[in-house]
Amino acid sequence: MIHYFIIMTKNFSNINWKAQALGDHAIQFYVPEKMDPAMISEIKCFHDFIFSQQLKEIKDIIPSYHTLTLIYDIELLNAPLDFANDLIEKFARRRKTEVAATAVNKIIEVPVCYDEIFGIDLISMSTKLNLSTTEIIKIHTENVYQVYCLGFMPGFAYMGDVNTKIQTARHAQPRKNVYAGSVGIAGAQTGIYPMHSPGGWQIIGRTPLKIFDKDPAILSKFNMGDAVKFYPITRAEFDSLNENELH
Amino acid sequence: MSIQITKQGIMDTLQDKGRYGFQHIGIPPCGYLDYLSAQLANVIVGNPKEAPIFELHFPASSFIFNEAHTICISGANFVPVLNDKSIALNTPIQVSKNDTLHFIQPLLGKTSYLSIKGNIDSIAWLNSKSDFSSHIKTNDQFNIIEWDGETKINSNKTEEEESQQYSIDKIQKHIFNSNEIRFIPGPQWNDLTNESILNILNQTFNTSLNSNRMGYTLKGPSLQLNEQKSYLSSAVTRGTMQLLPNGEVIVLMANHQTIGGYANIGQIILVDLPKLVQHKSDTPFRFSITNVETAQSEYKQMQKCFS
Repeated sequence: MIHYFIIMTKNFSNINWKAQALGDHAIQFYVPEKMDPAMISEIKCFHDFIFSQQLKEIKDIIPSYHTLTLIYDIELLNAPLDFANDLIEKFARRRKTEVAATAVNKIIEVPVCYDEIFGIDLISMSTKLNLSTTEIIKIHTENVYQVYCLGFMPGFAYMGDVNTKIQTARHAQPRKNVYAGSVGIAGAQTGIYPMHSPGGWQIIGRTPLKIFDKDPAILSKFNMGDAVKFYPITRAEFDSLNENELH
Repeated sequence: MSIQITKQGIMDTLQDKGRYGFQHIGIPPCGYLDYLSAQLANVIVGNPKEAPIFELHFPASSFIFNEAHTICISGANFVPVLNDKSIALNTPIQVSKNDTLHFIQPLLGKTSYLSIKGNIDSIAWLNSKSDFSSHIKTNDQFNIIEWDGETKINSNKTEEEESQQYSIDKIQKHIFNSNEIRFIPGPQWNDLTNESILNILNQTFNTSLNSNRMGYTLKGPSLQLNEQKSYLSSAVTRGTMQLLPNGEVIVLMANHQTIGGYANIGQIILVDLPKLVQHKSDTPFRFSITNVETAQSEYKQMQKCFS
């Protein structure tokens, strides 16, 4: 086995960090591959630390479940390995002086209309899971979810973890069009489609809130590490709150 | 000053160096596909190399110039025709009021660039004028784009122009005369079967017609992982080679999603990405492995063409 890319390992705060070059213009820091809510605050902490350095070499800092990836400017950064090493050393020193990672965020409450006209997969899920639609809704609104990361499209937040009782795999064949605001489940994850798009998640309802706004002062409603709780609203409340285009 | 689009090409957009700093909230970077040809067209008319520029795919848009402008076309050769005469690529061209420009045949390459001396009068979104959707945003129903242009052109052949000719030749040769595309193995390279690794390094690949600003799907030997498994999504970037469950490779381009959960088997190096962008489906190419140092040094070497 040839290792082309593993450049270093660093242990601190009981976490085993590694870093690798991702091609010629990115560095990826990573921890063992696992969907672990406890890692969200650690990765966010590292993200925020790098962001606070305002490094001109870095064009993007992209977190995910178990990675933090830096996109850099080739013309400004010559030795990515040394750079990565420096950065994680500094972060390790910083982490030593902190008691815990970033404090718990305020909970963002999201209204969802679980009417079957919006929750187009509720009935089939109810059969599959052997639960009533009311029970599915109750279970979906019980948990406080955390945002692991964003991706797929602007503002799409991957949240978890969904109670195992209502976990449902995504559709084998994605739908051609899922409406903006649609709330879905895919395995242990739940999320909201910020705009109309093709999509394979199991749709259980729709939020009237605008999830992504092109206004540069607003942009994404959610950020990595946010805590999110859904609550049910009626069709009439949905109509009066709706901020999304209907088509 | 303005330019009017009389026929909108289906995949034509306005692009600049892209929109960075927002991938953590899922916003794709966008930007030029073949950044070398785009930079070349910009520099030839005297614009900054990272100025906004029209990116054209065949069948491309048609234009009418409402004022005199200096323009240049670089990248793919779609046989540009000004009024009724074909014009040269990689050369500053003086156009007059009411001149029309259209493209008649996809002779060489896949992506062409039309630069216009001056500044486009369009609003940047998040520090970039790159179109996010798959068409050129225009001001109104008449498809008019305001362009604050300059038309002065130096007709004396200077030393500077001679050195520019050298750069043009170097870039053209790099993009269009090579069937070797280099990559750096990615995190899941070692998850490939030995046979797949040999196939990548010894067989040829072609771009498929299913290729666009989001990604290029490749046709070639089917590749397999030692075990079928799913990966947790992590960041991808332009040039990332994702292995799909059906054994096909998709190479991510400017409008790529910010994170992806397919096996990341490698990244095509930035300096070779324009080669792939311009590779038509009927010309096979080969992959070869390189390293970060070589990739970065060649990237910088090529950028010297524009300094």
